[in-house]
Amino acid sequence: MTAGTGPELEGADAASAQLDALLHRVARGDQAAFGDLYDLTAPRVLGMVLRLVIDRAQSEEVTQEVFLEIWQSASRFDPNKGKAMTWILTMARRRAIDRIRASQAARDRDTRVGVRHFQGEYDDVAETAELRIEGGKVDAAMRELSDAQRLVISLAYYGGQSHSEIADNLGVPIGTVKTRLRDGMIRLRTVMGVTS
Amino acid sequence: MTHDDDPELLAPGYALGSLTPAETAAYEAFLARSPSARAEAEEFQRVAAALTLDAPPVNPPAQLKARILAQVAATPQLPADSDTPLQPDELADSGAEDPAELGPAALRARARWSRRPIIVMAAAAAAIVLFVGGALVGGVFGGGTSLEQAQSPTLAQIVSSPDSQRASVPIAGGGTATLVWSGELGKSALFVDGLDTPPADKTYELWYMRGDSAQSAGILQVGRDGTSWQVLNGTMQGGDSVGVTVEPKGGSTTPSGTPIIVIQS
Repeated sequence: MTAGTGPELEGADAASAQLDALLHRVARGDQAAFGDLYDLTAPRVLGMVLRLVIDRAQSEEVTQEVFLEIWQSASRFDPNKGKAMTWILTMARRRAIDRIRASQAARDRDTRVGVRHFQGEYDDVAETAELRIEGGKVDAAMRELSDAQRLVISLAYYGGQSHSEIADNLGVPIGTVKTRLRDGMIRLRTVMGVTS
Repeated sequence: MTHDDDPELLAPGYALGSLTPAETAAYEAFLARSPSARAEAEEFQRVAAALTLDAPPVNPPAQLKARILAQVAATPQLPADSDTPLQPDELADSGAEDPAELGPAALRARARWSRRPIIVMAAAAAAIVLFVGGALVGGVFGGGTSLEQAQSPTLAQIVSSPDSQRASVPIAGGGTATLVWSGELGKSALFVDGLDTPPADKTYELWYMRGDSAQSAGILQVGRDGTSWQVLNGTMQGGDSVGVTVEPKGGSTTPSGTPIIVIQS
């Protein structure tokens, strides 16, 4: 998806250096630099958070948390250890996963007290069709997952966590993690139309 | 029917790159003897490849930036020192927190990062968020004075202005005073935390001090909890210092003693 050509890479390097410089100024309390950094990176942060969290309002809240953390911990950014954009997106990913995990916990609690969240078959079909027309295959596919499925896939792929780590984090048996991962991947495969 | 050890169940993790080395070895051994597993592995790899980090950018609404800038103006930063215990937490999701206990990140951040939380500033930030978000609800900011409510829109302008800056000084006897200002707007606001209420016949007065002259910028009202914030009266000029003096009740036209707080803008 990121087929970079020569000139693009040069542009990317310049953009990366610019972000490094801005973060350096932010680390010294420069709020104007923070505003510039926000303008340059917020759309990518929100885009990624939205893919994981799905809900728009919650995604904006998570984005706000991410930028507050950037402000607070800018001095910890070490350009020798990676690119600024990666540092920011890693933070965004972690907070997005935290957010899905919290909603999933709430969902589990609701289920325990007997409040069921039903998704009607018809709604599902209508939504799928609409999303396909909009394009954005991956985002549409991610929306097709249950929160539980999206969470384990996010933890595994975006969070790099092993089955046992996910199981520990979610307090569910390892077998449940594997099943959710598999169900989620199968669903993604179907929705994305991947066949070999 | 549990197949926890079924190698087939390792296929998603293999594609997502989250298997342990032992699991990887087990799955690769399984792949070697199962053509159908190989087909599935390939499909899952393609799904995983599509889950790239490059989600399409989405432009946030303008008010999100205003909210964030307002919050930032009132939020202390971490020192560069990497010995503090939160470093591991920043780098990896420890997952140690019970998801049910997860509160707003700002709260957690404050609890972790601010040894002496500037409570009033947090409250003010919340107030700003409410105003900037356009969702003003009277009396929402617990403890906020009516003056603070009246001044909140101005404070929001100051902290969200592109040239907004802040400086903090300790208050003698403990506490912190922080000035937030915008040169463009010619406005500033002072936050105090840990300032004792003045004696009954005295009052705190704010001053813009330039050179040898001082211009009154109003009476600083301090709550019983020693916290307050206030937008200064008058216009701030480049290079002004902001001072606080103890004056007879009602205030004075010129400062009558050494300021107890001075912040250089």
